[in-house]
Amino acid sequence: MNSPCRPLILAAALAASLCAPAAAVLNIAADTDRNTVEIDGNLYLTVTVSGDSANVPEPDLPNMQNFNVYSSGRSQSISIINGRITTSVSFTYILTPRFLGPQTIPPIAVSTGKEKAVTPEIKINVVKATARPQPKARPARRPARPSRADRAEAERGEQLFLKAETDRKSAYPGEQINLSVKFYTAVPLSSNPQYMPPSFKNIISEDLPPARNGETDINGVRYSYSEIKSALFALAPGTAEIRPATVVAQVASTDPIDPFDPNFFQKMLAGSAAQGRSVNLATDLVRLTIKPFPAGAPKGFNGAVGDYLVTASADRAEPKAGEAVNFSITVSGRGNLKAVTAPKFPDLPDFKVFDTMSSLDVNKKGDVITGKKTFTYILVPRSEGKKTVPPIKFTFFDPKAGVYRTRATGPVTLKVKEGAPGAKSVNFGMPGAAPVKASGSDIRYASDETSGGTPALLASSVLELPWWIHSVPAALLALCFWLARFNRFKLANPLLFRFRRARSEADRDIAKAEGLLKSGKRREAVSVLYDSFLDYLSDKCGAKISALPMRKALDLIKSRFPSVQDVSLSSIRALWETLELHRYSPGAAGGEGAAELVKKYRRLLMILEKELKK
Amino acid sequence: MRTFALSLLLALPSFAAAYDRGELAEFNDLYRAGQYQEALAGYEVFIIAEPENPWAYYNAGNALFRLNRVGPAVHRYAQAFMLEPRAEDIRANLNFAMRQTGQSLVPEDAPAALHYIYYVLSEVELKALALLLFWAFCLAAAACFLLDGGRWSVLTGKGAAGAALLLVLTLSWYAARQSSPFSGAGVVTRPGGTRMLSGPGDNFKTYASAPEGRLVKILDTGDEAYYEIGLQKEGIKGWALKSDIEKL
Repeated sequence: MNSPCRPLILAAALAASLCAPAAAVLNIAADTDRNTVEIDGNLYLTVTVSGDSANVPEPDLPNMQNFNVYSSGRSQSISIINGRITTSVSFTYILTPRFLGPQTIPPIAVSTGKEKAVTPEIKINVVKATARPQPKARPARRPARPSRADRAEAERGEQLFLKAETDRKSAYPGEQINLSVKFYTAVPLSSNPQYMPPSFKNIISEDLPPARNGETDINGVRYSYSEIKSALFALAPGTAEIRPATVVAQVASTDPIDPFDPNFFQKMLAGSAAQGRSVNLATDLVRLTIKPFPAGAPKGFNGAVGDYLVTASADRAEPKAGEAVNFSITVSGRGNLKAVTAPKFPDLPDFKVFDTMSSLDVNKKGDVITGKKTFTYILVPRSEGKKTVPPIKFTFFDPKAGVYRTRATGPVTLKVKEGAPGAKSVNFGMPGAAPVKASGSDIRYASDETSGGTPALLASSVLELPWWIHSVPAALLALCFWLARFNRFKLANPLLFRFRRARSEADRDIAKAEGLLKSGKRREAVSVLYDSFLDYLSDKCGAKISALPMRKALDLIKSRFPSVQDVSLSSIRALWETLELHRYSPGAAGGEGAAELVKKYRRLLMILEKELKK
Repeated sequence: MRTFALSLLLALPSFAAAYDRGELAEFNDLYRAGQYQEALAGYEVFIIAEPENPWAYYNAGNALFRLNRVGPAVHRYAQAFMLEPRAEDIRANLNFAMRQTGQSLVPEDAPAALHYIYYVLSEVELKALALLLFWAFCLAAAACFLLDGGRWSVLTGKGAAGAALLLVLTLSWYAARQSSPFSGAGVVTRPGGTRMLSGPGDNFKTYASAPEGRLVKILDTGDEAYYEIGLQKEGIKGWALKSDIEKL
């Protein structure tokens, strides 16, 4: 569209895309190279579909009754910046108008199933063909020389005929065969003829637009012709067929209307004379021989046929470890690139290799299918250092030479720098760039973790301990509780504990006194016995006996222990007096030895233990 | 000694990672190559070798999900979640798989943060925490009794009281978790869902169906062939074939 509004529309579209980056993931735009075309001319329609995935769908072309539509190739570009993928595919079509006047290219839609985008309709003005002056010296386009078959048709006196011819009768699978369908007419036509392309067996076809028009002389008759070419590619060895193509043409009738015809008025009113008669033409069936590939296909041959070059490149030479690098392998040359598959990618232990994406550019210049196909991989270097991607081989069959050829890329060396901490995975986010748009959701990827977290492991370890281990703290608690209670009771009842301890204390003192006696310390031994006896009585009575006179002490004992017998009290008195005498007047103590005192004290203790009870 | 103990503690996870990392990488390569059935077989071996490892269940869940077996995938993800409820990937995939079956990991009326805290510890970790708090309480209380009357006795007494309080809270938390959708539960793994009968046998009437991937409460396991199951959301219960349901 060459309208003056075009820059404004483009600017508005650009502004809209900048202002609302999250508005749509799938976009479609349609444009024509002109908006006025002559009836015998062509116009190019370019439909561009862009999206944020590796594959974008083909546009759904509406039924255009007012144009003949031919596919003229596609061009795809994929960009991966920091892991964000943007794909743009341009589909080019050649449109030849069929009717004069204002025509419309209806809205063209594209859909992914979830999203849909539609172009606005485009207005095209189809005008009459202008008379072109015939150049004298050298015609702009020399009319095609009619073939022998065309001449034969002309010799049969046909005013209209349709011929289908191929440029070869035999080919290898995948080798290009050009098909030419020519429609000749020596009479004026009342409208553009309707062309129905042929169907094929064991063949796929690719349009080779535009349709060629011209004039030629055959056997002295001036013919106008239209030629539609296609590139054919056979699928498998054997026979291939091009089934008849048909043309329906309206030929202006020169026959007068018979006034005596019973349908005279209908014919007059219908204007059948002006519309003319309809002529159906069809081509003959064409058979082709498809040769098998020669034996000895090398390993790695995947059916690519043509003549290709293969190159490899990385989008940067010095990436960091853990950062994504776009690595592209480009196959370019002559042949059916749509059928070319990715060369085998070698195992690269130095890299993590992510999925392939391919982009395709097809050119049909000179009726030869050429172009390039680029396979893009994302490589993530695992570690720093010099890392090399080895040559990648691509094998194809060259049909002209009839031999297999293997071509290889050069090695690509990357100088990988040390990665940033934590840069272990591809970063698909761009700081400061457009916000991330969720276009779908999926489960997260498989984990390389080989064990659970430390808390879980510790917890399992704790639970695996034998159950009795967990009773240890409970037992310890119970023990400490008892000890605390015991201590408190002891502190609260000192006399009771002295009472209970009195005998053991006395026994210890007796042992001590006996030791002193053995070492000849009689006086010390008696002194120990004396103190021990009074302490024993004090512990039992809960009062300091040594501070009391003997009589009061005995009364106290009697009052505390009413069951004590008088004999026992007499024995207490006797022992007390004896010990006092031995301690304070050893000379007057007589002949009784200290050893006897020990025995007496021990016997008395035995009696008192029975009688001095609470 | 302290350094040695610390090193031992830090080295514990690597000791526990007994499973061969290379083999796991092989299974993951199969998964990456789209050979999900083969990867699943590897992950199942991994589960048998390390039944306490949540990532074995997680990876198996992934392979099952890719094989379009949502019910078994939910079952495996739920098992992984019960072992490692804090793992983001496990939570995300469990939630994703549950959403495929009309459920949600976080109930719509529950705050996400509260739900996260509620499940921040696994049941195994809760049990271990309760045991450790029991130890702490006993030892602190014993010290309090031993040091009876001293300044340290007060401090250890407060420690024991704190540990006791935390122990009660932990036990309450654990008890509350017994009523969570993942406790005493199962997942419908039969493609197309399972029939809920009014009794344990085919002679009883089918009056509801539980879709594949649905988390159900298992109320009774006494019958040989049937579980009594309950759907909490709908408030219904019935009997379903044991072969249609995998226990968590």
